[in-house]
Amino acid sequence: MTIEYLPLDASADTGVAVRVDHVNKRFRLYHERNQSLKSAIMRRRKSVYEDRWALRDVSFDVPRGSTFGLIGSNGSGKSTLLKCLTKIYWPESGTITATGRVAGLLEVGSGFHPELSGLENIYLNGSILGMSRKELDEKRDDIIEFAGVGAYIDQPVKNYSSGMYVRLGFAIAINVNPDILVVDEVLAVGDAEFQEKCRQKFADLKQQGRTVILVSHSMDLVTQMCDHAAWLQNGEVRAVGEAGPVIDGYLGFVGGGSR
Amino acid sequence: MNYLKEIWASRELLANLTLRDIRGQYKRTIIGRLWSLVNPLAAMLIYTLVFSFIIRVQPDPGDPSGLDIFAVWLLCGLLPWNFFAMTVQTSMGSIIANTGLVQKVYFNRLVLPLASVGAIGFNWLFEMGVLLVTLVLCGAFVWPWIPLVALTMVILAAFATGIGLMLSIANVHFRDTQYLIGIVMQIWMYLTPVIYPINLMQAQSDRIGTIPGTGFTLIDLYRLNPMERFVEIFRNLLYDNRWPDGGTMLYVTVAALLSLVLGLWVFRSNERKLAEAL
Ligand SMILES: Nc1ncnc2c1ncn2[C@@H]1O[C@H](COP(=O)(O)OP(=O)(O)OP(=O)(O)O)[C@@H](O)[C@H]1O
Ligand SMILES: [Mg+2]
Repeated sequence: MTIEYLPLDASADTGVAVRVDHVNKRFRLYHERNQSLKSAIMRRRKSVYEDRWALRDVSFDVPRGSTFGLIGSNGSGKSTLLKCLTKIYWPESGTITATGRVAGLLEVGSGFHPELSGLENIYLNGSILGMSRKELDEKRDDIIEFAGVGAYIDQPVKNYSSGMYVRLGFAIAINVNPDILVVDEVLAVGDAEFQEKCRQKFADLKQQGRTVILVSHSMDLVTQMCDHAAWLQNGEVRAVGEAGPVIDGYLGFVGGGSR
Repeated sequence: MNYLKEIWASRELLANLTLRDIRGQYKRTIIGRLWSLVNPLAAMLIYTLVFSFIIRVQPDPGDPSGLDIFAVWLLCGLLPWNFFAMTVQTSMGSIIANTGLVQKVYFNRLVLPLASVGAIGFNWLFEMGVLLVTLVLCGAFVWPWIPLVALTMVILAAFATGIGLMLSIANVHFRDTQYLIGIVMQIWMYLTPVIYPINLMQAQSDRIGTIPGTGFTLIDLYRLNPMERFVEIFRNLLYDNRWPDGGTMLYVTVAALLSLVLGLWVFRSNERKLAEAL
């Protein structure tokens, strides 16, 4: 049960950005979900929980420099896997080894304080994502520019539209300059112009040899952007490899299932 | 050791989160930060009215300062107590209050309770500053004692942090904790000589004598409470203007260290499971 972030050393690079090795993740579902002492004491007598394995023996490698799509039906474990990658959840067993700096964009704006201005939130959110003040001083103009929220940057973020929220959050995460960027279906809220901007950004990252792992239900987006993909079903890997065949496999499965 | 290094690496985040709490606190109020003074002032007025004017509690005059003002005497104990109680309550709730963050981003979770300690400590500094000015105006000679007051404030902060860390974990698993602690804090306050002088307790204890079968007196048990010691030290320094007892200083230091080490240990062994337990 380890999640390890190794420093990226170009000379010793194995070509694997992230190795997911026999990862199992369990959630314990309690039947009476009110968290109280009384239920804890009752529970002692008779355990009233059920184990749900959200990830079962998941193994795959993400090649360095690839744009890696993670697809699968609702509840198949995609978000759970991304959360394990970003150390939010710890798997029950298995190892995850990431080489390089990892930044996650699981839900944008989660670190925003509604009463603080956009600019103040750049500093706050940036430091939550692990950027130093100096880095932020250097990058704030890029962030503001990429977010494109204009004069609203001095307004409290509670006055932002949901698209502006996403733009600002995404702009910050992009500027962490991660070697590995992990994105969980957050782009859907942005408008066409912003989505185009993101696509461009992903392409840039790829050019720089950085790795992007993204979850999406839009097969068009995955087809367009990803060169590799993995398909999760019920917490298990159904297929992994070149994007094309994996997507076809998934679409075939969905088509067959709905008939 | 590694853990300490990790905490050190998160210092910038800690500073930013503390600032967030401080800045966000009194946004959109008219009198702003002055609100942080209103609470202790209101408490001071009420307690002075009830305990000094109606019940006629009379603490000894400050020795050697010669001060004899109930309200000032009260504040010297009440402000540290309020800091303690608020810190414990707020850091206890800090993980739950930041559920969104904990479930979506990885960072050293310890900064959440620590930031609430920082934000409340900031208000406390402000309050203590006002108290110092008041003391000087009333004729106390507090200047030489300020470094020791600052040191004791740090020790009290460590004590409160440790307790807050343990409770923040407990509260994630059992939300009963926060309600229970609300009551415990009230009882604890009355078991600490904040609004009445300890000599009233001493008199009762002398009247009863040793508790049968134990060899202890009531006051021995009463003085096990580290908060009693803290209040005594603050009153010695601020109100009496004299050296606190060395043994008492040692006692609070050991209590603070124990609390902090235990708190860090509990927090550390549970932090990985926080995101899914929430
Ligand atoms: N905190 C949790 N506690 C209990 N069960 C959970 C928790 N988080 C996820 N699960 C369960 O784990 C399974 C996988 O969930 P996950 O969020 O990873 O799915 P997903 O693939 O991201 O789905 P979607 O496409 O809907 O976003 C689901 O059955 C879900 O109910
Ligand atoms: Mg999901």
